[in-house]
Amino acid sequence: MKTKITNGILMGLIINMVYPKAIGVTQGLMAREAMNDIWVAMVFSTIKGSVIMLLTVLIICRMPDKNLAEYASVLFGKWVGKFISLLQILFFLGAYATVMITFVYHMLDYFLPEMPVLLLIVVALIVGVYGVFHGLEVLGRTALVGVFAIISLNVLILIGSLHLMDVRELMPFLNTGVINTFIASRHNDTDWAVATMMTGMILPMVREKTIWSRAGVGGVMFSAIMVGMWPLLEVGVLSPEVTGHYTVSCMQLARSAEIGMFIHRYEMIMVAFFAITSLVQTMICILCTSQAASQLFGLKDIRPMIIPSALVLSAFGYWIVLDKVRAVELLEHVWPVWALSIAISLPVILYIVGLFIKPRPTPSDRETA
Amino acid sequence: MNKPLSVCLCIAFVILLSGCGKREISDLALVMAVGLDKGKQEGTVRVTAQIARPADARGQTGAPSGQTGEPIYSISAEGRTIFEAIRNLARFSSRRIFWAHNFVIVINEDYARDGIMDVIDFFSRNHELRMRTWVAVTPHAAHELVSTQTGLEVIPGQSVDRLFRYNEIVAEAPRTDMRQLLAAYLSRTSHPILARLTLKGRGTSNKKPQEHGSIDQVELSGTGIFRKDKLIGTLDSKESQALLYFTERVESAVVPIPCPDDKKNEASLELRYQRFTVEPTYQNGKIYFDVRLKTYVDMVESGCRSRLSQAELMQLMEEPLEKVLKERLEKVVKAAQRTYKVDFLELGKYFENKYPKEWKKVRDRWEEEFPRAVVRVHVETEINNPVLLEERVNQRGENK
Repeated sequence: MKTKITNGILMGLIINMVYPKAIGVTQGLMAREAMNDIWVAMVFSTIKGSVIMLLTVLIICRMPDKNLAEYASVLFGKWVGKFISLLQILFFLGAYATVMITFVYHMLDYFLPEMPVLLLIVVALIVGVYGVFHGLEVLGRTALVGVFAIISLNVLILIGSLHLMDVRELMPFLNTGVINTFIASRHNDTDWAVATMMTGMILPMVREKTIWSRAGVGGVMFSAIMVGMWPLLEVGVLSPEVTGHYTVSCMQLARSAEIGMFIHRYEMIMVAFFAITSLVQTMICILCTSQAASQLFGLKDIRPMIIPSALVLSAFGYWIVLDKVRAVELLEHVWPVWALSIAISLPVILYIVGLFIKPRPTPSDRETA
Repeated sequence: MNKPLSVCLCIAFVILLSGCGKREISDLALVMAVGLDKGKQEGTVRVTAQIARPADARGQTGAPSGQTGEPIYSISAEGRTIFEAIRNLARFSSRRIFWAHNFVIVINEDYARDGIMDVIDFFSRNHELRMRTWVAVTPHAAHELVSTQTGLEVIPGQSVDRLFRYNEIVAEAPRTDMRQLLAAYLSRTSHPILARLTLKGRGTSNKKPQEHGSIDQVELSGTGIFRKDKLIGTLDSKESQALLYFTERVESAVVPIPCPDDKKNEASLELRYQRFTVEPTYQNGKIYFDVRLKTYVDMVESGCRSRLSQAELMQLMEEPLEKVLKERLEKVVKAAQRTYKVDFLELGKYFENKYPKEWKKVRDRWEEEFPRAVVRVHVETEINNPVLLEERVNQRGENK
């Protein structure tokens, strides 16, 4: 794929990859453990996310035209590269399931309870495949629309719920202890993991290599700003106990918001904005899986892999969301282990090994240099 | 993607995604208020839904194009659970019961004494209901209250909604909604409170003005006190006014005070700008709370036949006002600590925020610790505004 995107678009993609689950599901998961300190847990997690993002960028900088799997194949050989691609597919399989949990439960639980789950899965599949077929550039531009949607959503929720906020709910600071809050931050780590893994795949397609690290870490920071008001509002408006009581806690906040006497129940408008960013996430997951699959099967073009990848992701996503107990089990217990073991170990190992093994630069690297 | 495929997709989306579940507005019975009473059989619940009759509830005056003369249609059904009772409503409702526009949930006090956990669970689980739906208790039958035409609005549920919205002017009942009820019920530090709705004969028919007070109107005044989910008592309007300082931001309140040199008459003092703080202290294993109220007051009415100037009047009334406010605050503290022995004042939250380590030691026995805590009330008032008048109105007559 010869497409190139700008660093700004990369930042937009990172924001879109983090936002939907981070505001929708993660805050509730963290509130069950860290109570009123979920915003502190988010700060911890953002620092960790920035480090892993920086590490990922530094690895790619060593061979700017290669993504993580290709770099691994240069370091360790073809089969290890294929193994890394397989790990990436597995990672995005799980990531897609969490995206579907977020997307489907928002729609199904609060707006369209009578709609068949399959229809929502198929809609995400069609939109996702459609976007990926148009390539990363179009996807990146959609992500910028997604950023606009995120800002609009944030402004709307802020206007509608700030007056309901009780600052006392945010106190006492570090009520459940530093260690517990740090452990609880693993749920938010999984959101950053999706962003860093995506960056590890698409960074070679980003134009200006010199500002990659700034764009990568900047993307994390901007995402944190976009997401950061949600834990504060959810705890301040709903209370930590209520936040932890719901699977999709952000919708409870949205249901409580009202602007003056006449504008209430405007969560339908907010969810329309939310759906844009959620569908961008869907597209990126399909793109990354297709790319990893094409590397696994030694294909130069990702297009033959788009539909098979999307079908596998959708089938798994459908199976997960069909049973809410299974979905919550995945989110709470399985996904943090699954995601973090891949997203942390992969860049850390590649970075450390890369310090000792210096692969000879390929002709394309020389050209880039 | 080629054009024919795009067109096919668009058509597919239009067919598949339109209609949001195929519910037309004319198929819906829009619930405006809901009442919950005990059912006739033991262990059952009676649900009453006040449903708007759109044909007779048009516009502000409800021009009766439906010709029934009734802008609302109230129906009741019983069941072993709330959900079953609601399903039973559907047996005789010609339209699908739709909760999204519900303004208020009214719970009968006998029902609330047995516990409202099912109410909290059902309505916080229901995706249609908005979390800003008001929740209140009533000593009357909830089905009666819900069916009572009240206020200027065509829809009674809407009238009650306005009562809650403009309650900050009267400030005699907490503005409790579903969001707050759920938060208070789940809270580890406090207990729920709910506003109290009563029926009072305050309305007068224009056709029979001699029958003053013959029409029942819904009054929002007082508070229901809960231990966890069970109603254990109520507060009157004055106690509720004092309670609101602890739980909400009080915008305004009116206190009549006898004139300093004319005890037969009174002046109305409006509390305008108020600063309320609770400062907990932990000393030698004992918990203290210093409750401080500083209020700036307008003299909005003076019936005082006094020779004093307005400035002197206002200055002399500060002390009695402080005394009244202090008594009210102490009375509600006493109700919490002595009468009901539950922390509905959220003092535990203040203590937890300042002393998180100490709170962890006492939180499991807060029910026993709370009545033993020492609460000191300090009130400071400043009556500094006679509003528009520079001189009192009876001055001219007295100077003669």
